[in-house]
Amino acid sequence: MSNQETLLRVEHLCQYFKAGNFVTKAVDDVSFDIKKGEVFGLVGESGCGKTTTGRSIIKLYNITSGNVYFKGVRIAAGIQSYKDAIKQAKKDNIPDLDKFIAEQRKLIKEAKNDQKNCDREFSRQLVAELKEKYAPLLEKATGAEKTKLEAEYKNELRKAKNTKLVTQIQMIFQDPIASLDPRMTVREIIAEGLIIQGERDKKVIDQKVYEMLELVGLVPEHASRYPHEFSGGQRQRIGVARSIIMNPELIIADEPVSALDVSVQAQVINLLNDLRDRFGLTILFIAHDLSVVKYFSDRIGVMYYGKLVELADSDELFAHPFHPYTKSLLSAIPLPDPIYEKARKRIVYNPLAEHDYSVDKPSLREVCPGHFVQCNNAEYERIIKELEANG
Amino acid sequence: MENKLQVRNLRISFRTSNGKVQAVRDISFDLAKGETLAIVGESGSGKSVTSKAILGILAGNSIIESGEIIYDGKDLLKISEEDFHKIRGDKIAMIFQDPMSSLNPIVRIGKQLTEAMLLKGKARQRESRSNFNTYLKNLEKAMIEADASNDPQKAAQISQNCKKFDKFEFKHIELESAYNKAFTAADETADDIEKIAFEFEKGSISRGADDRINDIVKQSRDSVNEYVVKPSKKDRVYSLTSQLKAQFKKSKKTNKFDDTVKTLYELRDIMKEGVSVEAPNFFCMGYYLTFSDKPLPDMPIDQLNAYLHDYIDKDFMLAFISDAEQALKHSSEVSCENMKKAIAELEAAKPVFAKENLDRKECLEAHKHLSAVVSACVDKLDINKDSLTFTFAPSLKSQIDSYFHAIGANKKAIRAHEKDQRKFDRIVAKGKKPNWEVADAAVTDLELIKANIARLIDRLIDHYDALLANYDSRNFDNETVAVIDYLKANASGVVDKVTRRIAKHRAIKLMEEVGIAEPHKRYKQYPFEFSGGMRQRIVIAIALAANPDILICDEPTTALDVTIQAQILELINNLKEERKLSVIFITHDLGVVANMADRVAVMYAGKIVEYGTSEDIFYRSAHPYTWALLSSMPDLDTNEKLEAIPGTPPNMIYPPKGDAFAPRNRYAMAIDFERQPPMFKISDTHFAATWLLHPDAPKVDPPKAVVDRIARMKSKRGLKDE
Repeated sequence: MSNQETLLRVEHLCQYFKAGNFVTKAVDDVSFDIKKGEVFGLVGESGCGKTTTGRSIIKLYNITSGNVYFKGVRIAAGIQSYKDAIKQAKKDNIPDLDKFIAEQRKLIKEAKNDQKNCDREFSRQLVAELKEKYAPLLEKATGAEKTKLEAEYKNELRKAKNTKLVTQIQMIFQDPIASLDPRMTVREIIAEGLIIQGERDKKVIDQKVYEMLELVGLVPEHASRYPHEFSGGQRQRIGVARSIIMNPELIIADEPVSALDVSVQAQVINLLNDLRDRFGLTILFIAHDLSVVKYFSDRIGVMYYGKLVELADSDELFAHPFHPYTKSLLSAIPLPDPIYEKARKRIVYNPLAEHDYSVDKPSLREVCPGHFVQCNNAEYERIIKELEANG
Repeated sequence: MENKLQVRNLRISFRTSNGKVQAVRDISFDLAKGETLAIVGESGSGKSVTSKAILGILAGNSIIESGEIIYDGKDLLKISEEDFHKIRGDKIAMIFQDPMSSLNPIVRIGKQLTEAMLLKGKARQRESRSNFNTYLKNLEKAMIEADASNDPQKAAQISQNCKKFDKFEFKHIELESAYNKAFTAADETADDIEKIAFEFEKGSISRGADDRINDIVKQSRDSVNEYVVKPSKKDRVYSLTSQLKAQFKKSKKTNKFDDTVKTLYELRDIMKEGVSVEAPNFFCMGYYLTFSDKPLPDMPIDQLNAYLHDYIDKDFMLAFISDAEQALKHSSEVSCENMKKAIAELEAAKPVFAKENLDRKECLEAHKHLSAVVSACVDKLDINKDSLTFTFAPSLKSQIDSYFHAIGANKKAIRAHEKDQRKFDRIVAKGKKPNWEVADAAVTDLELIKANIARLIDRLIDHYDALLANYDSRNFDNETVAVIDYLKANASGVVDKVTRRIAKHRAIKLMEEVGIAEPHKRYKQYPFEFSGGMRQRIVIAIALAANPDILICDEPTTALDVTIQAQILELINNLKEERKLSVIFITHDLGVVANMADRVAVMYAGKIVEYGTSEDIFYRSAHPYTWALLSSMPDLDTNEKLEAIPGTPPNMIYPPKGDAFAPRNRYAMAIDFERQPPMFKISDTHFAATWLLHPDAPKVDPPKAVVDRIARMKSKRGLKDE
């Protein structure tokens, strides 16, 4: 797994929301990588920042600080950390203050540029590629063939100019009822992305829409209906179709099955699994149902109050949880077995009683290959000892 | 076990523009006291409709076609809206599925939480008072009849005793009320002080600290009572509280809290001492203070209690108890006599309802006569109401009414059907092929109604036979004790006065209990300031606020994450244990069911397809739908592809002819498409409606995923036990 290409890299992502003088740290210093073709699960209780993380990655929010790299390109960058560094430097009055500030300002400028122009770079590149491809063809062609080719070239060029890098990340939303516009037909909903991208050929659009509908287990006749005519599971399928029509490389699935019945849940999970195998999709799977996450994900990150507290392969995480919050989370999973359930003891997590972070600040450390835990020095040593004792 | 709620043959449908949707089709179940019944099924299977019917909040286009929901001697389907007000929310509470829409967006959380407590508090006091009065009156009457029907002197004595009981109960109420108020005040102040002092020690004040300090001041002054904070300490409490106010003002400016904290702790110690004092027996004390004309003897509480107890026994209680026992015996004897008569009358009335065509006049006369006979069987001194006796007359009436209504309606329906058929035939005769079919005439089966009436009568006869047979084994000593307890409980129900401040404290405690941080701040916020999980907790807190008998949970944790789900489930389980709540738990998450349920009913397309204890359902499930549900959910060890149930539930406007699950069923046989399977009994507790259980059916094993899981869980448990 480690030799695979990294598709998405999140570095020190922070997302703060201001309300008056009060700052909510929704996501605080979260870092992780997602490899190509894997399913990365993000779990945690409601309000811990899972959804915010997903939305920050897809640039629905302007992130406060940190970087998000997609296919090696920085698609989102925050500047708060640099500003803080300047403030701190001024306060400490370090030597070479001016030089330091100039450096930081330069970084801020770069970050702002990347945040704004990453898509432009990408489309510029696409346009250049197209030009390179069509120039020799156009030269060679003559007569009617040339006009046809020119029209095709123009069409492609327009699409390339409108294509954004971020469209390769798509999102599936939690609530299949609220996330579909009730006044649009299914065809309009699914094709919206294509139209924005510049596709004007009705035939192509229809064909693609039908293809997607069949892919997600609906029939082409459904295209002319409205969302309210569908059941919850079918609506979620429409949401899935809408996201995969853009040919994404990464799908952020924000609790796609939480609002569904068990039987329908299984249908949607099977669908996502099929699509993943078929297109080699990479999925960031955000959910709170741990059984589903365990079944579906290759690696799992556990979040608690804006922080990533543990990150490991899913089997490893469930077999050897180290962080007390993860332990408490795992102890709360209900299983379909009455005798086991009635004997199950839930572990309560109380951060104040569990950790002493007054002096020794915690950070995310690798305790064994691929397994990261948020801990401080003392806890790190304890975990290592525990690991050695168990072999 | 005592059945709290009985649902019998419930059928509910909805009128829509496309036709009649049959949402619930003939379901029956019981709910015992202190038991959790889980109803499992896909959305649209009729789970929610059932629960709404129990609560009487069905949508306007619903038709209750038949059935009974018997609770506390009443048939909830036939009582008036005014009567329902006394039950809904107070006796039967509901936690709704969608926390977004079940809270009022323009009312503060605190108000919404306390509203029910305040309203229901008053209603409850009234009800307790009236219960107490009626029961005492009935008891008095029975006592006189039993023992002193020819002895006016004795009768006067008994009347006087009962009046005495009433009078000193008042004193008892008064004393206990004052004590309760002071005790809760002291207890809560001690709690509050702990919390706020902890914050002060850390040097931080949260918003609303002023209010809380004010509360502490008021509360601690309230806590002065003979048996809580002794009146001798009153001055100290007052001086401490005024000191506290001044100190807090000062320390807010300087941000130094040492003095305030010190004062707070002293106050807390006084409160704690007050709370730790043992409470005297107010019941006996009330009697002593009312009738003895002497001041209370000065002795420690336990001796005092013994002394008072002795006094009341000698002076009044023993005589009263023996009278009460006589009365109970007499009253039950009378009702038994009446039962014997009633059985004969019921038997005699049977032929009236068994005729080929019922006669309206005759039927109504028989109904009138039978209602009088049956209502005479009611033992007014029996604390547990006999539901069957109470619901007999209204049930019989509704069956008779529906019979005579159906006679007219059927004619109309047949005419309409014939008209449609003629139209259809005309079109066919023209050589066209219409793309519709003629629906069957909507005829009500008159024979079925007659059978229902016969069953109703038979059931009552059987019930009375059983009661008469058990008469000898009744223990009147115990029953008398229960009666006194009942009177006491009702009296203290009158004591339990909910003031605004008590309501607020209870609300804040509830909010803490359901896991809401900073309840003091949250108390004043609006619902939009809460996240989904938080809102659901508020909804649960509101449902619990009125202290209900039966709690209906309609997917309460579907919108919550695991840790909070676990907390909420634990909370519901604890409350169930503490208050002997009966819970109906509606969900589609089988993991949750395993945790919560004592018994499980699996519903599909408006029918209960499998019914059993949770062990039956999870380890020995027999219906293919249950198998499908079990195998379609992943657990922590699932690696293979999930077995989703193909297709969707049927359209209930046109319910399928045979087994509704047959089209989606891998194990469906030919007969499944032809005839509906009956309920097959597997064991005493376990029933399933599938033809697979028929002796002639081929033997089918549950799917591999289910068998594997059971084996895996077994081995896991085995390891745990070691």
